Parts: sequence; structure tokens; C-alpha cells
Amino acid sequence: MHELLLFASVPVHQHYELLQQLAGLTAMQPRHALERRLVYKAFRKPGLNTGRVGGSQDLQQANAADLQRVNKMLNGGMFYTQVVGPVSEKDFAAAPVKVTASELESDTQMAGMELSNPPASVQADTAATYDFDRQPWKLDFRDIPEAATRSAVTTRVMASAALPRGNIEPSMNAWGYGFVTEYVVEGDIFIHNDIVIFLHRVLHYPSDEKEPREPRRSLPSLKKMAPLEKTGSYVLQASIAVQDGSNQETMKTASQHLLGLREQLKSAVRLEPADRLSLDTRAK
Amino acid sequence: MVESFSLPLRPPTDKDERPDTLPVEIAQINNQWGSFREVNEDVLRAEIAKQKKPDATPSEEDEEEPTELDATERREQLYKRRLEITQFAVSVKHSSHATGSQDFCVKPVEYRKAHQETMLALDFISLLLSKHSPRQAETSMSPLLKQLAPLGSLSSDLVNAPPRTEATLKDIATVSRGWRMQSFNAVSNKLLNAATRLNREIDSETKYWNEVIAVKDKGWKVCRHPRVRQALAVRYGFIEATPAFRDRGLASLQRSNDGSLVLDQGLMPTSARYVRVQVKQGQQKWASSKPTGTIANETDPIEARILQARDSVFEEELFHELVREARALASCGVTTRENLIGIPVADDTEIMLDLVDIDGHDSQSQEALLRENDSIADGFAHGIRIMLCFAHRQNLRRRTQIPRPLTTARPPIPEYHLLRPALAYLQHLTLVRSLEAYFSDIYTVLRSAGLDLPPWNLQTCVGWPLGSVGKSTHSLEALVEKFLRPVESVFSGDLLTPRGSFSVTIRTNFSAVPLGSIYEVSFQLPTVSHLKTPNRVGLREEAEAAITHILLLDVVSAIASNPISAAPGKTEPQKWVPIYPPLGELLLPHSHPERHKKMKVTLTRHDMAVTTYLVNSIDGVGRGVQELRMQGAGAHVCKFPRSSSESSLDQGSEALMDFVAEEARRQSRM
Repeated sequence: MHELLLFASVPVHQHYELLQQLAGLTAMQPRHALERRLVYKAFRKPGLNTGRVGGSQDLQQANAADLQRVNKMLNGGMFYTQVVGPVSEKDFAAAPVKVTASELESDTQMAGMELSNPPASVQADTAATYDFDRQPWKLDFRDIPEAATRSAVTTRVMASAALPRGNIEPSMNAWGYGFVTEYVVEGDIFIHNDIVIFLHRVLHYPSDEKEPREPRRSLPSLKKMAPLEKTGSYVLQASIAVQDGSNQETMKTASQHLLGLREQLKSAVRLEPADRLSLDTRAK
Repeated sequence: MVESFSLPLRPPTDKDERPDTLPVEIAQINNQWGSFREVNEDVLRAEIAKQKKPDATPSEEDEEEPTELDATERREQLYKRRLEITQFAVSVKHSSHATGSQDFCVKPVEYRKAHQETMLALDFISLLLSKHSPRQAETSMSPLLKQLAPLGSLSSDLVNAPPRTEATLKDIATVSRGWRMQSFNAVSNKLLNAATRLNREIDSETKYWNEVIAVKDKGWKVCRHPRVRQALAVRYGFIEATPAFRDRGLASLQRSNDGSLVLDQGLMPTSARYVRVQVKQGQQKWASSKPTGTIANETDPIEARILQARDSVFEEELFHELVREARALASCGVTTRENLIGIPVADDTEIMLDLVDIDGHDSQSQEALLRENDSIADGFAHGIRIMLCFAHRQNLRRRTQIPRPLTTARPPIPEYHLLRPALAYLQHLTLVRSLEAYFSDIYTVLRSAGLDLPPWNLQTCVGWPLGSVGKSTHSLEALVEKFLRPVESVFSGDLLTPRGSFSVTIRTNFSAVPLGSIYEVSFQLPTVSHLKTPNRVGLREEAEAAITHILLLDVVSAIASNPISAAPGKTEPQKWVPIYPPLGELLLPHSHPERHKKMKVTLTRHDMAVTTYLVNSIDGVGRGVQELRMQGAGAHVCKFPRSSSESSLDQGSEALMDFVAEEARRQSRM
């Protein structure tokens, strides 16, 4: 699967206005999204046979092909990958699931929550707790953008695979990945035909805490999270996924869609392809 | 407008007509006519008469005089010049004659000089004339000149115009003054017209923009027309509709001459249309009521016209989607013609949908209007519209999901579920009613036989929340979603047999294949535990047969379990033994092999018959040809419900159980 992208930087004073403009353009309300992103780095275990011949052949499940492809990618080179877990606003500053909810500052803000995400049981009985063991995860792999493409959009190979809920550390370690760090992305998603427009910024965990060696089991208050960019500016990312990257026609259609969006947004923001090396995911 | 305009643009014509002051006039009269002293009546009369007469001749003379004078003057001048020339020539001749003898040698030189000058003059004239008559002038030109100057390279013009006479100058002055006046008038007219036009434009523009703002304030989305860059447009269509209809929901806001808004929908028909629902039952027809408040004329406010356009687009989209869905439902007997959809609902009921003009009156539907059946048609009409709105919301939901990766093949857009829920409900209702009628019939029969059957009960449309529903979007959508699920109704009841019960579930499903209704019949009958439930039954007749069978079994087991009081002289009480319960056959055994008594119960929807007769076999269990019915063994027949004649004849056994006991007693007496 390929992904075509365009980026733009949005200063914080323009953020609200752009939200309005995008809502008008896409004729939909923004969907607020909060994501935990864990960064993992591949390492080679000493003496590990990278061949893994026949290891995936007995997988007769529906996602066998997906897993196979991901496996192939994982074993080809050494890459950083991300594990993405959608969270909701009330998960921040919430106690772990063991503690009773009454002790906590109750947060009644239920609207704008992720529809698909937190499991029903968590939603139902624990309004202000965060259950790390029920946290859904998704493995996101992104290759370095393709070099020397004449098209004015960033193109890269991508793959996603669902991971088991809860603590993924053992599985990731078993696959040859080590935890590096984690951060949170907050933003709003718009859908414009086939294009996903994600206006987001990166939030860091409070720096006073000691950096843990594994994913956090509880989240600090959202207010304590500091934006990576000190001024709080946002990144506008317009992306479109293509199933078959070898099909030139679809790729062309997709990039034309993106360029069309760039034209439409010309008076508001300047969408540009990103610097290739800044999106390098290879582990040196 | 012209009068109210304050700028003085017209030439000041009134200034001339203003009366001069008296002394000025007197001085003028003195100048023109001389002293007043000579004025008397005769002179004035003569003057008036002179003015009245057409003074053509004197004026003509006056007019022509200067031109004549001009001509004669010019002629005189011409003569004078010619005279001068001839005099000069003569003088030259004379002088040459006089000096001829003395300067003989000089003469050829002078002559040559003169010749040269003449030739030069000739060349000059020729060159001058060569412009107008080149052929002729060429013959008189010298070859040198021909080389030097091309033909027609010299032209002449009158530089010093002849002096004009005073009359001509006066004429010219008058004409130019007239022209100037005319031009000034024209210019001022044009300016004033332009001012008027601008004023009118300002007024109509103001009106136009006020109306546009009014439209915008009402909440309509006003934008620039995507194709006509200079025009404004209002969007009234449904953004989630099919693209063809979504794009039609846009009309440009044109300005008419007086500034009022004109809603320009392009080539679309402007008459309001709506989807009419007609219910046909047998020969009768009922139509749905017309939508209200959407008929707008050209004179109506713009709001009403926009509303009408919106409703029309909605109705046309509705019909389009209905036709699409009807084609997919062709397997259910739904027929589509050019502009008509026919849906068979029940045996003699058909629903017809068509797209008609609102103002077009239809005599057929007006004929037999019965108010109570309008509600079905109206309900159907409302239902399909609600379902279309729901489909729009589903589209929005689908559109705002993270899209699938781009592929070459686009997933097809499935038909909306507009007809199906309504169709399912109507079909379900028909089936439930028919089964209800069946139950009430057969229960009447059984009760008329004196059987104390507990009443059956019916739960229609299980799971439909018919109470109050919250007003939030989610709960409303959840409510509509419920109507898309299979409709279910349950008949249940207890049987005569203890711990016996039955239930029949009718499930109608039009949302997914297999389309249609099924019956699920289940029962609990301890006496015939080996019998399996028939489970799913597709046909109404089969379902009814199954229920009849269950009830027959129940009646048989009830008869069998009913103890008969022991006949006098016998110690043990007798009992009817169910030998073939599925056939409704029971046996009353007897010690004598030819005295076995058999009872046969038959149950149908409308009656129940019980027949008793003696059988002639050893144990009495034979069937069919082996049954060996006794000859002349008077068979007793008892039918329920009893007709009036029968009941009057035989008063003794009114209930089934009485009859059964009576028969048993009769046998024991034998």
C-alpha cells in the first residue's frame, strides 16, 4: 500500500480559522483525535536467522497476507516503526482501572469521543479510568519517501496491522523491536472524498518525569502535556492511500486529487511535499 | 426624473425669451422702426398685413442677391484679369516689335528663355494634371520630368478661400448655432437618461441585494455560482444526495429588470412535483394527500420558491431512488414502468407510486376518497420520505469515515432501503391479520364445542419502541434503524393439555436475502413428546395446517385424559385410548371383539366433527381397509359449531365432552 502526502505548517493563530475553512470545504464537523504513539526501533538479535522460512505459512487467518507482508517489511531492513493507540480526552489524568472512579475529578465531556475505539466495557462502567490492558493498538510502518519522483507530492510505502490489546511490549520485543520513546498527537480529522486531512500537533509528556523504559500505564493530565513546537503551531497533513502502488494510473489519480486540494486551499495554506530525509524511518 | 435632476445640463434656452427691460426695448424699436411719432393705425395695419402675406418673393430675392452678386463680382474679376493678360501680351509684342531692329541678336535668347519658361509651365501644369487625368497629361510632359517625378505626385488645393459674403457667414453662424443647440440637447438628454438609468439601477441593485441578504439571513447557503463566475447562487439541495441530484440543488440568483430575484434553475422543470402514493384494493383506490405549503408562483416571495425547488428536487430524487430499488425488488413482484411503480402487498392490495405535478388534478383519485384508508397511503408516503432522509444521514456517516485505499474499481453504491421497510411492514401486517382471523375462527369452533381453551395472545412488531423516543440525533437514527431490521410478531397461547403451549412467530425480512416472510411454529405437548416442531414454514397454508394439527392433537389428548365416570356395574372407569392421535382417532376397547368403539375427530378452520362407530376387529386398531367397520353399527356424528336445527333436535349433548361421555356410556350398556 502506498501513501501520498502533502504538508503545511499552520501557525497557532490561524488554527481556528483553518478549522472553519476545512469544515466548510469538507462539509463535515471536525473529528477530534488523540493518539498515543510509541516509537519502536528494530534491533537484530544476535544469532537470529532472518530468513524465517515457512514461519508464516501456517497462518491460515484472514489477515495472514497482511502479516506476511508486514513481516517481510520488518525483516528487510531496519526501521523505526510506530505503534498507534487511540485514546480519548478522559483517559488523560485518569486513574488506572483499579481505583474507584469517585476519587477522581469527574469529566463529563463525552462528546467528540472516538466512536470506534475505547472498548465498550471501559466506556460503560469506568467513566474516568484508563485501562491500559484494554488499550487497542495498531502497528504503523512507514518507509522513507520515494526518491527522485517528479511528482510534487511525497510518496511512501505504508502498512498497518492491528495488534493485540493491552501491553504490546512482549510481542514487540519478540518481533525484534525495542521501545524508544512515546508521544501524543492531538488534532482534528477531516475527510474530503478520498483524502484524509489531519490537522495535528505533537505533544510531549511532562519533562519533569523520568523517561520510562516502556509504555506508560497511565497518562498525565492533558494540560501538562507540552507541544513539541513551542509556539504550539500545527501541521496540516493531507494524505491519500493507494492500494496498489505499482498501478501508475491510480497513483496519478491520487496525486491529482492531492494537487487539486492544494489548489483549493491555496489561499489559506501552502501545501508542499516534505523534505525526504526528514521523514527517514531507517534505523542506522 | 429629468425634472428632479438638479444639474443644469440643458442649454439655457429660456434666457432668450426673457423679456428685456422696457428702456432696452424702446431703444430697440427706435432703432428698428424709427420714432414712435410716425406710428399710427394705418401704418401698423399695413405692417401687419405685410407680415401676414407670404413674403416668399422678397425673402428669396434677399437670399439670392448675395450669390448673384458673388457670381457677377467673380466674373468681373475674371474679365479684369484676362484684360490685364492680353494688355501685357500686347505690350510685350509691341515692345518686341519696337526693339526688333535694334536687338536682333538678343531676340533668340529672349525667345528661348520664354520658350523654356513656357515649357516649364507646361511641365508644371502637366504634372499637376497628371493626378486627375494621367493619360492626357503624360503626352504633354517632358521626358526629363517623367524620369524625375512619377505621375500624380503633385496635387493642388485651394489655400486661400474666397471671401464669404455676410449672408453666408450669417447662415453658417445660424446653422452652426442650431447644430450646437441640437448637440447640446442630445448630450443633455443622454446624460439625463444615463442618470435616470443609473438611479434605476441603484434602486434595483439595492432591492436585489436586500433580497439576497434576506435569503442568506433565512439560513440558505448563498455562494458564487461554480460555473457562471459572475452570478450568485443559492444552494438548497441535499448535500448527501446522489451526485446528480446534489448538483441540481443549486440555482443561480438572477436579477430581473426591476431588481427582484429570479431563481434560475436552468433547464429543470419549474413546476412542483411530488411522489403520489396510491393504494388500490379491489376496485377502490386511495391516494396520499398532497404535500402542503410548497406550491409557489412567480409572484410568491423568493423563500417560497426556493422551498418549492428544494421539495421538487427531493421528490425527484425520491422517485429516482424508488425506481432503482424497485428494479432490485423485481423478484418480489414489484413492477416498474416508465413513470409508475407497482408493488403488490397482499392478495388484492397493490400500492402504486408515481411522480405527478402538484397542481395537476387527478379525477380518478378524487372519486372514491375514504378517509380511513388514506392513512395507509399517507403513512407510506411519509415512511419513504423518512427513509430517504435516513439514507442521507447514512451517506454522511459513510462519507466521514476514513476512506478505503484507492483502487481502480469503485465500490458500487447500493440502493437505499426506502420501499423495503414499508413493504415489510405491510406484508407483515397482512399476514398477522390473516393468522389472527384464523386463530379467532378455530378458537370459536373449539369453544363452541365446550372446550375451555385458554385465550391466545398476540404481540405485534416485537422490539419496536412505540413509546416516546428521545430527541437526540443518535436515538432517532437508532429508531429508524430498528425499522430496517426484520419485523417480528408472536402468537402464543396455552393448550388444554397441562403444561402444553404453542407459539407462532412471523418474521418478515426485506433487508437481506431471503426476502419475504417465514413462520416459526413451535409447541410443547407432553403427551406426544416424540413429535418434532415443524420450525420454519414458508407458506401460510402450511402454517395454518400445522396449527390445526397441534390443536387436533391437543383435543385428542384432552379427550383421552378426560375420565369417564364408570358405568353402573363396572368397577374400573373406561377410557378413550388415542390410537392414532395424528389422525384424531381414539378407541374405546371392549371385552367383546366386535364391540370396539372408535372415535374420529376432524378439525378444520370452520368446524369440528366427531364420529363414533363400532369396528369389527380383534383389537380395533386397524386402519383403512383393515378397519372393518361394522355393518349397520349406527355411526353417531356430532358437529361443532352446531347449526340451529341440530341443536334443537339433540339437546342432550351440547359440549364435546358430554358427547364423548355419552358415547362411552352407550357402549358400556351394550
